[in-house]
Amino acid sequence: MKKKLLATLLVGTMVVAMTACSSSDNNGGSAQNNEGGSSDASGSYDEIRLVNGKPEVDTQLQALAAKYKEETGNSIKIESIGGDTSASDALKGYFQAGNMPDIFVSETNQFADWDGYLADLSGEAWCDNTQYEYVDEKMGTIGYPYMVEATAIAYNADVLEAAGVDPASLTSPAAYEEAFATIDSKKDELGLTAVIGYCAEPNNLGWSTGTHIFAQYLDAGLAADDTTYIDLLNDGGKIDEARMTNFAKFIGMFNKYSDPDLLVDGTYDNQVGNFAAGKYAFVTQGSWIGASLTANENYSGFKVGFAPYAFEDGMDTIIAGPSSYWAVYSEGNVEAAKAFLNWCAGDSAQNILVNDAGFISPFDNCKYEPSDPFAASVISYMQAGKTSGWHTFLKKSGLENRTCQVFADYAQKTLDESGFVSTIGQVIADYYAE
Amino acid sequence: MNREPKKSTLAIQFVIAVCIALYILFPFFLVVINSFKYNTAISEDPIGFKGASFEQFISNLDGVVNNDHFKFWNAFGTSAIITVISLVLLAMFGGMAAWVICRNNKKAWANVIYFIFIASMIIPFQVVMLPLISTFRDVGKFINISMLQSIPGIIFAYCGFGGAMTVFILNGFIKGIPFELEEAAYIDGCLPEQVFFRIIFPMLKPVIMTVTILNGMWIWNDFLLPSLMLGLNGEVKTLPVAVQAFVGSYVKDWSMILTAALLAIIPMIVVFLIGQKQIVQGMVDGAIK
Amino acid sequence: MNILSPVRRITSYVCLLAGIVMFVASLYMDITGVKNDARGTLLVVGVLLIIAGLYFFPTLKHHRTIINILFLFPLLFTFAVTVIIPLLLGIYYSFTDWNGIKMTKMVGFENYAKMFNQPAFIWSILLTFLFVVFNMILVNLVGFLLALLCTTKIKGLGFFRASYFLPNLIGGIVLGYIWQFIFANVVTEIFNQPWSWLANSNTAFMAIIIVYIWQYAGYIMLIYITGLTTVPRDVLEASAIDGANAIQTLFKIKIPMIASTITICTFLTLTSAFKQFDVNLALTGGKGSIPDFMGKYLSNGTEMIALNIYTTAINDRSYSLGQAKAVLFFIILATVSIIQVRISNKKEVEM
Repeated sequence: MKKKLLATLLVGTMVVAMTACSSSDNNGGSAQNNEGGSSDASGSYDEIRLVNGKPEVDTQLQALAAKYKEETGNSIKIESIGGDTSASDALKGYFQAGNMPDIFVSETNQFADWDGYLADLSGEAWCDNTQYEYVDEKMGTIGYPYMVEATAIAYNADVLEAAGVDPASLTSPAAYEEAFATIDSKKDELGLTAVIGYCAEPNNLGWSTGTHIFAQYLDAGLAADDTTYIDLLNDGGKIDEARMTNFAKFIGMFNKYSDPDLLVDGTYDNQVGNFAAGKYAFVTQGSWIGASLTANENYSGFKVGFAPYAFEDGMDTIIAGPSSYWAVYSEGNVEAAKAFLNWCAGDSAQNILVNDAGFISPFDNCKYEPSDPFAASVISYMQAGKTSGWHTFLKKSGLENRTCQVFADYAQKTLDESGFVSTIGQVIADYYAE
Repeated sequence: MNREPKKSTLAIQFVIAVCIALYILFPFFLVVINSFKYNTAISEDPIGFKGASFEQFISNLDGVVNNDHFKFWNAFGTSAIITVISLVLLAMFGGMAAWVICRNNKKAWANVIYFIFIASMIIPFQVVMLPLISTFRDVGKFINISMLQSIPGIIFAYCGFGGAMTVFILNGFIKGIPFELEEAAYIDGCLPEQVFFRIIFPMLKPVIMTVTILNGMWIWNDFLLPSLMLGLNGEVKTLPVAVQAFVGSYVKDWSMILTAALLAIIPMIVVFLIGQKQIVQGMVDGAIK
Repeated sequence: MNILSPVRRITSYVCLLAGIVMFVASLYMDITGVKNDARGTLLVVGVLLIIAGLYFFPTLKHHRTIINILFLFPLLFTFAVTVIIPLLLGIYYSFTDWNGIKMTKMVGFENYAKMFNQPAFIWSILLTFLFVVFNMILVNLVGFLLALLCTTKIKGLGFFRASYFLPNLIGGIVLGYIWQFIFANVVTEIFNQPWSWLANSNTAFMAIIIVYIWQYAGYIMLIYITGLTTVPRDVLEASAIDGANAIQTLFKIKIPMIASTITICTFLTLTSAFKQFDVNLALTGGKGSIPDFMGKYLSNGTEMIALNIYTTAINDRSYSLGQAKAVLFFIILATVSIIQVRISNKKEVEM
């Protein structure tokens, strides 16, 4: 009796299982057919997802999505995550959970992680209007430039003018030394706390010293496609000692003239906040502080601009370009993603991205003047061809966590100039050797 | 004989006690006072009342509660759901397992299971955390229900991690329940599950209180497990993860951070004030057993 | 209720049948890779139905066994998936080149050799041991002194006990940030220092210890209070009659009589100090410089082993190396725990 029951059970199971499976097979097939049928450029697509790494422009990107829906009838879901590098960690999680978005933010050195999963965007219409797309030898055009960011020494133009310093003259270490000394002597009448807001705190601001300021060692003064020092670095962690020594001297000047309350244990908010309040003549951040500047209640509306890190004579470039890109996941809805990106390079999208989100457009045919306080300065460098690349994102990942500590020690004076050079060289070489 | 301590000794002891209490409570005071200030007022005077105003507190609160990284109410709700469900399941499953193990303690399999549970208590989380994520990912793919970045997944994990200690403590208590009670019930024709749920489980109340408090403190404050499973920027965040995500974002405004800290502390303090006696008792019992 | 009643019998068979069907169907879909959103639900419902079917299964003889299995199943299952399988996998992965997603080959002891060639990791181990020793002594001492204070006859004992215990309620991340603020803004103000204690490795290490004592001493105090109140009254009175002063009573009677409590507290502080992670992460993130350790400049001056494992795996993306470190950590912790339990058992017997 029992055995019979068992046998019936088993047979029943199998029958049901097989019918269940064959019916679901059909479902799968028809779904695929649907997808295949709707791939012409102007057609309608299923909803796609974009993971954005700049939460500060979430509202504007939501508006962008609404506009896209209004104009084309297609929908895109914007998911904003991040601060620092955490968007990439979140994406790793998404990948592992099989929950990848169709378009996602990626920094240059993260592209390699996604090798084999990125769609080649070469030949898309927007490529003709920009020089900032990311092209990988092997993977093709994989990075869509959605904005241009710049980093150099940001200055308060009003303060410089009052102190009689011409920012255009700041193209040599001697000029900087002189300007800093002049401003330092007039601190009180200019209402300054310190000449420069430079912060070497390693735990929370390690990305600033370890990635952004270190970037100047790699790229300052070089043409945008010049990879001399990043190649040297990635060749087993070598540095150019002469260049590094000059760089160290320059940073030493920051240490000397920076706000002592900020230098060792400050925070990003203090750094930017004090600059906005007109307490520093210079600050070592990039164009991303523009939005928090205008939002700060102590910001009086003074003019700002960028001066180059001229740690050697004649260095007159700022680092500018996309600091991150949008990439298309090749196993997602590639056609819909491409359609969206093309639309994004167009007029109505650029209107939102430039005028509302405050982005500096990477596209030549964009007719909008950005509202961001730093934009005019960045664009003038771009038009003069005086921009260097963001090659700092190609260094071995995690290096900034090591090197930022050397900047911190230098700021605390436990290392002197030559100590800084030899230590940073040793730290880099060790990290590459690991 | 019962010598009364001298008045002067008592006074000195009292003063010492007050001083220590002030030292220990000082950080709490700082959190509260500074969440009533604007950022610049904090850097000018981090200790005193200068610059503190109720309006500023409301504006800080507003900035924190609605912050994209923090989303206090979401995080609070997630933490509460995860903690409560995990605790209920742990108490029930733990009780069931402990009872079976305890009543079969003459049999080899029960002893083996018990030994594995006890031995697993020295496993540090770090040694399992990385493969745990990949295991959960694979299991999630297999059953087609996401185990990562989901509340059920994390509750599942807490049942697994909290199981050993729960069984250990419950087992010690069940041993002390006379078997005669159960035997009588069996003679009356009760089934084993009825014996457990009608007789044993209600008797476990005090010790379940203990494990609930111990597990509750751990789960509510735990950071590493949810941060790995949910991700710092996932849709689902527990309160500690939300605090870390909030601070880890570019925002480094102390008035905001301290307000966020205050919000994260308050629920725990409220619970403590309500159930102080039980919590203290539970923490001590848990340690001693 | 009759266990053999027809209703039960039918329920059992139906549940079992449906459950197994669903279970097998979903497994089949999984193996053949058919995409169907209902697959997961089907599997879970199937398992639940099988459980229900087993529960209602009409047998007198085996009902007990079934109940035993069903009662053990939930906890054992979750325990196996979250602890046992990852533990075994983890040990296995530590011998491979696993990168968190996939592994390509076995590398033998390469990861283990690698980590001992990292001065930064050796520093983390040493620092952790130092931290553990400091804490075991200091937390126990402070906790015990607080307990003595809280077993005197002063007024407001309830308030003092509660306030001393209060920091223990707060999670490490939150209090780490609170103290980061205190060290950067308040301590500098009070002691008129140029910058935060956290900026220098030595003072930052001290800072971590202070925060840890602040958090943990209240809890240890509670346990000591319980221990001290179990010292019998008449023994204390007898000693008082014999003319023993307070200090003699403390060392000759109280401390020996709470030996087992001391064991418990030592064990608690030991293991928790070893596993310290949250405060370390939130307070310093492991940062701090060591100018010269084994001939190298280190930038992880305050990074203890648990945090080192985390940063190795998550930040530097060396999963297998991090896993190998974690296995070593497990071995250290297990050894220390066993030795410690051995020693304290012996002591208790001697007394």
